[in-house]
Amino acid sequence: MAGVGGGNDFQWCFSQVKGAIDEDVAEADIISTVEFNYSGDLLATGDKGGRVVIFQREQESKNRPHSRGEYNVYSTFQSHEPEFDYLKSLEIEEKINKIRWLPQQNAAHSLLSTNDKTIKLWKISQRDKRAEGYNLKDEDGRLRDPFRITSLRVPVLLPMDRMVEASPRRIFANAHTYHINSISVNSDHETYLSADDLRVNLWHLEITDRSFNIVDIKPANMEELTEVITAAECHPHQCNVFVYSSSKGTIRLCDMRAAALCDRQSKFFEEPEDPSSRSFFSEIISSISDVKFSHSGRYMMTRDYLSVKVWDLNMENRPVETYQVHEYLRSKLCSLYENDCIFDKFECCWNGSDSAIMTGSYNNFFRMFDRNTRRDITLEASRENSKPRAILKARKVSTGGKRKKDEISVDSLDFNKKILHTAWHPKENVIAVAATNNLYIFQDKIN
Amino acid sequence: MEFKVEAHRIMSISLGKIYNSRVQRGGIKLHKNLLVSLVLRSARQVYLSDYYGGICLSAQQAREWCEGEYMASEQDKLVPGSTESLSESDEESKVAVDKQEPRDVVESPAALHVETQASGEQDSAENGVSDSGCSDIKIPEESPEATQTCEVASVVTAISSNCISVPSPSDPKGETETPTDCQTDSSESAEKHSYEPKAPQAYTNRKRTADDSELTDSPTKRTKLTSTSLPSTNDENKGETEEMDTSNVSSLITIFGSSFSGLLSNKEGEQPDSDAEDSDSGQICCDQMLKNLNPWSTAIVAF
Repeated sequence: MAGVGGGNDFQWCFSQVKGAIDEDVAEADIISTVEFNYSGDLLATGDKGGRVVIFQREQESKNRPHSRGEYNVYSTFQSHEPEFDYLKSLEIEEKINKIRWLPQQNAAHSLLSTNDKTIKLWKISQRDKRAEGYNLKDEDGRLRDPFRITSLRVPVLLPMDRMVEASPRRIFANAHTYHINSISVNSDHETYLSADDLRVNLWHLEITDRSFNIVDIKPANMEELTEVITAAECHPHQCNVFVYSSSKGTIRLCDMRAAALCDRQSKFFEEPEDPSSRSFFSEIISSISDVKFSHSGRYMMTRDYLSVKVWDLNMENRPVETYQVHEYLRSKLCSLYENDCIFDKFECCWNGSDSAIMTGSYNNFFRMFDRNTRRDITLEASRENSKPRAILKARKVSTGGKRKKDEISVDSLDFNKKILHTAWHPKENVIAVAATNNLYIFQDKIN
Repeated sequence: MEFKVEAHRIMSISLGKIYNSRVQRGGIKLHKNLLVSLVLRSARQVYLSDYYGGICLSAQQAREWCEGEYMASEQDKLVPGSTESLSESDEESKVAVDKQEPRDVVESPAALHVETQASGEQDSAENGVSDSGCSDIKIPEESPEATQTCEVASVVTAISSNCISVPSPSDPKGETETPTDCQTDSSESAEKHSYEPKAPQAYTNRKRTADDSELTDSPTKRTKLTSTSLPSTNDENKGETEEMDTSNVSSLITIFGSSFSGLLSNKEGEQPDSDAEDSDSGQICCDQMLKNLNPWSTAIVAF
């Protein structure tokens, strides 16, 4: 069947799955964020237990030229610990909300990881060589007696087992009263922004003891609160531009050159609500859970509960494309409200060329939309389809009365199996899909 | 009618969520609670739009204050009960729950009241104490006024629930609504009008009395809970502190209770006719709620 993302003969295949197979999933193992780095060689995941696991792609081996490099564990470290705010009697969860890679500037890799309150910059460095033959000290480190040294030698570098070390280089703390929901590295590679429910702060990567508040939507009287910030992102090329989305389904684009405090937006993106589809839950399902700029910087994509919308930055009054992710859930909103699923925050992502977008759904389904052909496909991340290079079969949810063979009815969807976090390799057709505590990696089949 | 039942169910569920959010790990999530409060508001609008204008509203609110105290104690039973026992089976739900009236209107002030009362541990002992504490209120002091308001309100309830004959537990005198009440709505509407200005005052006074009785009835509970929750301050009540005082229920009330007034004032522009009285009454309730926040906070701690 023709797939999405690369052309008519395109098909997605299973590549790897990481994580335990047990039915009993520990809460701490649930993956809460997935992110490729700029080259795609590294894939980072964060989980609810505050840990970060980084996978590195192995170099393609000459023996099997047709199989892409596999991702294997490169480093694992505990990024955040649970904390207790004694002043407010509040426990601060260690769950990693977001990871964002920094552009690589030397041999080491750096990333930002954040929980609800604190952002940390981690440097991940590896050592696979060690020096031998020092003049002034022995192999075991003891100083040599200077009188015994009769000749000089040049130390040589010998290979050793690769050792990967992660160290926290900066800790950006105490700047957010509310829960941090987003971080985004600026295109100047010097600053980044962090957003919580009511404020957006701008940081310099080198300075941890202060940040600039650039957006503040906290009303003077908290009683008049009607919307919160749900996501924020820096423009990929223009370092003065960023956007933030709200719980009311609006997106504001701000230019930092206009004012120090960007409370007045430069652009305001909102689609008028369709009055015929109004229900008790209209406000909840219009709340935007994720916003992502395209790689080109011309478009941005927003995810609300039932759909994904692509906006042209030059047109504010409506999106240019709208894709329904799981419209069949519209009639189930009340049950989804009861079991809290309506509050799930799905993310979305672009492929490297901005020709396709991907987002998750329930029952371990995830959806891809090809913007050029307008085709879409539903795939499933499951252990049943996890034979190496097995082609993923398209799935379908039956909405009408008659259920065809191989279709799943809406009522038999498993709402506990939700795919909230997905990531697309920046250059190739390799995707990472987080299904609760498992990370699936799929890639295209090479014809 | 179905809309009303559905709206009522959604309101119950929403309150349950707000209540549960207090004990969730990581603190109260502002975004989720804001969304829940919006759903609560939508459901309330639908529910109230079924009433004939705002005539019944004030009296209803007064009645809600009577019953609000019970609602909190039934909160735990309310949520599971609500999913299984609604539609016309308000009576069934009453069977499942001790003194629950037909849970018609969870007014915003009542909602907040419920929420505040629902804070802290709920066990049957507390329920029993709180119930008796509350029922004590109704009889002394402004009982003539209160009783009248309660009766009017319970008449309203009967009418609003389409003459389902249900006893009004809020009235300890045990006046059972009969279908005959439904037939007397024309005469009673006049009564309600006359009681309307009194109603806001009535429950205001009743609230203070409730505080006093609760404070005296349950000093032990208060001491038990102060160790687990922050003591409230005046600042928090006004919502002025910069900190996210979401661990403190009184500030949560401030946020959500008056967010109703904030939301209501937005709404007023849209539907001036039918909802004007709603908004005004809602506004009155919220304002009074806020003024009385201080005594309430101690009441919350008591629970």
